Amino acid sequence: MKGLTKSIKGHLILTVVLSQLVLAAGLVFTGVFYMEERLQAALDADLQARAMSIAALVRYAEDGSYNLVFEKSLVPPSPDPSHPDFYEIRKGPTVLARSSNWPADLTFDNSKHKTYRSLMVSGLPYRALYLREVPILDREEAPPSSSDTLIVVYAEPTLALRNQVLAAGVYVALASLILLGATVLLALLGIRRGLLPLQHLAAEAAQISAQNWELRPTPDVKRVEELKPLTDAMSTMLDRLRQSFLQQREFLGNAAHELKTPVAILKSTLQSLLQKPRTAQEYEAGLGQALDDMERLEKLLQWMLRLARAEQWAQGALQRDLQEIDISNTCEEAMAGIRSLARSRNINLQLNAESNLVCKADPEDLELVWVNLLENAIRYSPAGATVDIRISRNNGRGTVVVEDHGAGIPEKDLPRIFERFRRADPSRTRETGGFGLGLAIAKALVEAYGGTITPESTPGRGTRMTVTLPAEQK
Amino acid sequence: MRVLVVEDELRMAENIARSLREGASYAVDIATDGEEGLYLAQSEPYDAVLLDLMLPRLDGLALLKRLRHSKQHTPVLVLTAREEKESVVALLNAGADDYLTKPFDLGELLARTKALIRRGKGQASALLTIGDLEIDTGNRNVHKAGKTVPLTAMEYRVLEYLAHRSGAIVSKAELLEHLYDYNWEKFSNVIEVYISGLRRKLNHASARQLIHTLRGQGYMLQ
Repeated sequence: MKGLTKSIKGHLILTVVLSQLVLAAGLVFTGVFYMEERLQAALDADLQARAMSIAALVRYAEDGSYNLVFEKSLVPPSPDPSHPDFYEIRKGPTVLARSSNWPADLTFDNSKHKTYRSLMVSGLPYRALYLREVPILDREEAPPSSSDTLIVVYAEPTLALRNQVLAAGVYVALASLILLGATVLLALLGIRRGLLPLQHLAAEAAQISAQNWELRPTPDVKRVEELKPLTDAMSTMLDRLRQSFLQQREFLGNAAHELKTPVAILKSTLQSLLQKPRTAQEYEAGLGQALDDMERLEKLLQWMLRLARAEQWAQGALQRDLQEIDISNTCEEAMAGIRSLARSRNINLQLNAESNLVCKADPEDLELVWVNLLENAIRYSPAGATVDIRISRNNGRGTVVVEDHGAGIPEKDLPRIFERFRRADPSRTRETGGFGLGLAIAKALVEAYGGTITPESTPGRGTRMTVTLPAEQK
Repeated sequence: MRVLVVEDELRMAENIARSLREGASYAVDIATDGEEGLYLAQSEPYDAVLLDLMLPRLDGLALLKRLRHSKQHTPVLVLTAREEKESVVALLNAGADDYLTKPFDLGELLARTKALIRRGKGQASALLTIGDLEIDTGNRNVHKAGKTVPLTAMEYRVLEYLAHRSGAIVSKAELLEHLYDYNWEKFSNVIEVYISGLRRKLNHASARQLIHTLRGQGYMLQ
């Protein structure tokens, strides 16, 4: 039973069996009731006929004494000789005739004209009819102006009726049981067929793997209305999973690819050093170069780790105790760090802090965000241009805007600037330096602190990066 | 032989150039972006081009297509960090002769470059034979009638180039263009010094002249 309620099939079968049982019980009950009613009505009619026929056997004696006589020999035989009918005919309190098996203690409610009664006589069920004021049919010998009437009681055993009703009940019950069996079989087949699409869907879902992300429901699955929300939900879920999986895989591929370049340089430096015997000074110079190459590799690894950490932090995997820090302080630190690059490109950095805003963050993280945004702004600015940093408070949030007056970013490229290892130039210029991770890291960090970062750009006029952070005024 | 290296990682380009100069006695020019690379490849007579794919301004594949479009048949060896089949197929279809994936072995790069140049000049073997003269371009050893001939790097360069073009007249200007890189001052009388040095070293055992001078036209190794 427990197993039945655990499966859809079990549930359905159980429902079918229960409803069939209720139906069968109803059928048996109404069938038996109807049958009994009909048979009893027939019996009652028969009782009346028999009572009237024995009443007709009462006549006046031919000797003119007006005594009533009963022709016992003309009483019709009982339908069931082993359980004979019984009767009594009275005229007032005088018993005119009585069958031999008349039970001693039989009384009737004689207020009514006609009374039927079911009773038990020596262990047998009987149905009796009591009739009052039955006229005497004999008119030939009747005294003039006679108004004599008879009381007739006639009873028949109802054993046969009971047996018939019982047989009918058993018949209906048996038929219902057979039908129930057939319905359960049909229901099982139907349910199995009905659930087949579910199996097909499961088989299809089992095919999903990192290589095959597409859920292809078979036509029978598509036809089932109830499965549509499920297949739709599965498809959407698979889509999202695939998206993030592909992103991860792409990042891994890109990371491996980006690592290849510094490794290739380092390898070629060492190999060319070993190509022929050299002087100690040459070896020294070569090792120095190898060390430089190594440092570049190290720097790339640091950036990648920083990005991974920022993203982990964004997912709440790291919990840190955070101090309230001044946003404009972190901006000044970042500007100090990048001033030499700005100077080498003759770019003027201008800070405009409207209000003192504090927010809960690791100052190093925020500095890194500003450094990355500033570095980008400087690299894409023409010599002599100004890069603006504006700090303000808007709608209860701290807003930091970094704006350059460079070439700007084409609109179609705007959504992609935060992609990892992406550089503005499609052929990935190394002249402007960097690994294409700066903006990705900035975005991850800002989002880790519950902020947003929005790029806006007008080609030919410049780019504006707007960062908002949850901040308070001090 | 003169080779162009188009690679935007300057450190990488310098390492390759150093290896080609020291390991094969080639003259090497470096271009650090695609446009400069295309300009040099179209204007200078290189014997091979080593081409990186990820280049600023003009990427390697586009450079290669434009180079082939301008009917330049210089052998091109592509250096790529991607090793997917499709990109390799695209490269070879675009006219690349060979490719190497990064990070590569400098020794392999050297051997492949030599093989490319050899095949570009119609030579299948690394061993060049002209009469009783044998030049092993693999280890740069020269034998004359079974005896080793010690040559300076520049003398070897001249001899190897002449041997690759044996039977053809090679002008002084052609020698200069193929033996010196872009940054060198070119003095044509330097060639005469090398030629006479070569003649002296190659002829001291036999009376037959190998290097012929065709007045006003150039030299021929036969």
